[in-house]
Amino acid sequence: MTAIVAASPARPTLVRAVCVREWREALSNKLLVGMTLLPPVVILATGVLAVAAAAINPPSEHDVQALYAAAPAAAGLDPKEAVQGFIATYFLILFMLIPTVVPLTMAIYSVIGEKSARTLEPLLATPVGVGDLLFAKSLASTVPSVLVTWIAYAIYLGSVIALGSRAAQNAVTAPRWILAIVVMVPLLTLLSVNLGILISTRVNDVRVAQQIGGLVVVPVVALGIAQVTGRVVLDNGAFLQMSAFLIVVDVAVFWLAKVAFQRENILVRWR
Amino acid sequence: MKTVLRTDKLTKRFGELVAVDRIDLEVCEGEVFGFLGPNGAGKTTTLRLLCALIGPTSGSAEVAGFRLGRDDPKIRASVGILTEQPGLYERQSAWENLVFYATLYGLTTAEAGSQAERYLRLMGLWERRTEPVATFSRGMKQKMAIARAALHEPRLLFLDEPTTGLDPDAAKTVREFIVQLRGEGRTVFLCTHNLDEADRLCDRIAFFRRNVIRIADPDELRAELYGRATEIRLMPAPRPEDLARVRAVPGVREARFENGSIVVASADPLHTNPLLIRALVEGGAQIAFVTERKAHLEDVYLKIVEPIE
Repeated sequence: MTAIVAASPARPTLVRAVCVREWREALSNKLLVGMTLLPPVVILATGVLAVAAAAINPPSEHDVQALYAAAPAAAGLDPKEAVQGFIATYFLILFMLIPTVVPLTMAIYSVIGEKSARTLEPLLATPVGVGDLLFAKSLASTVPSVLVTWIAYAIYLGSVIALGSRAAQNAVTAPRWILAIVVMVPLLTLLSVNLGILISTRVNDVRVAQQIGGLVVVPVVALGIAQVTGRVVLDNGAFLQMSAFLIVVDVAVFWLAKVAFQRENILVRWR
Repeated sequence: MKTVLRTDKLTKRFGELVAVDRIDLEVCEGEVFGFLGPNGAGKTTTLRLLCALIGPTSGSAEVAGFRLGRDDPKIRASVGILTEQPGLYERQSAWENLVFYATLYGLTTAEAGSQAERYLRLMGLWERRTEPVATFSRGMKQKMAIARAALHEPRLLFLDEPTTGLDPDAAKTVREFIVQLRGEGRTVFLCTHNLDEADRLCDRIAFFRRNVIRIADPDELRAELYGRATEIRLMPAPRPEDLARVRAVPGVREARFENGSIVVASADPLHTNPLLIRALVEGGAQIAFVTERKAHLEDVYLKIVEPIE
């Protein structure tokens, strides 16, 4: 008999093994890859095209008046520049949608996929703790989503700096937006991932889970509409408050997911 | 022999349903221990309890030297389980599947690689190690699942229906593997509906239906329930005087003609058979075969375990 001493692996080893396995699995699933890449590609392409189009086509007087009314800070700027700045900012909000949509699909596949393939029981038979396993699964869905959003934002930033007006450049390089992308994107991603895992513990159909999980975009869309219509001003304070709120919600949702993700629940109650 | 598994009134309830009712088991190191019972008897629940996958409602157990409920991660590290479904990552290769699980059992990268290679070769899957598991037959997937269960060299291996749905060749590989494990001093806890397999492989068998009804060596149980019989085939066919000679041998309980043979029941065949043979040869009979006649384990099983309503 070979002398092997089995034990629970160190957490970094476990996380690396789970992430590599999940990413291999995800990359071999063309539908999942497509669903992951489509939202950032569409938002990025639309955003760059919109900023470029605003640079070419002068806005109507009516549009300019509406813009000044919604964003008094833009008053006094050249109308074309102001519109570009407005569009550039609007698309930054849409970038905040990416972390709510992209990881949700991966997280749902990560749990429902294992449920339907009946791979959870052997996984749970290992000495690995379920909390560690859940953490590793969360990271496996979070990391690619955050990277995809950051890469898309970096390309958008470069494109706006190259094509846009000074107002558009100032909008996309504003510290509060950089802070939002750097801090809030991972927090929103974690929220979406853990909600996805939580939903997946209750349903067996990927499409149903996506429909329920899709509701997570509602607050972000509402925030975008509120900002566009001038009802909310997203300044540094607002972003800090939202970040603090997201940290609390993330911890709460992870805790709930951990409660649902217990060996006996999974093996006996999950159907 | 050292005890590797011991339970004391281990019980599992799901609400009102008593799935496992106060079972007492003791399994020794190096033993192939059969666990037989009808569908719905609670075999899978018992396996999950003993592998620390679910917690007991009451009672206690010690598995591989560790206390259930207190040392669960250590129990899971010390045992291997073949679940009802292979549960492999189908899009990934055989190699990737095994190395992933080896890592979860805490093996180093070098150990994971060498163990994956050892078991892929043992199961005859080495040549297909880079192919996705989805392309494998059911038998190959089952062999992969067994390899995964044994990868970390557990002291105790729980196998739930290891040969169900396998072709004879794959089933033979699995049975040979079980024999090899026993040869290495490891313990195999075998849940099966294949009574012939249980008969061939198991040192002892527990007959189970929510509770352990009986644990025994299959041959001893047969002898107890059906007595021990010897079939003697003569060439040419036996004569009435041959039967009379057999009946006169001390220790013979019963002797009769059956399909051209004489079937003899005795309390101690090891002592009686040489006397029988000598008596027949001295009477001028020519003996072609002497074989032990065994009751089928199926008969024993049906006598002990009543079906669940």
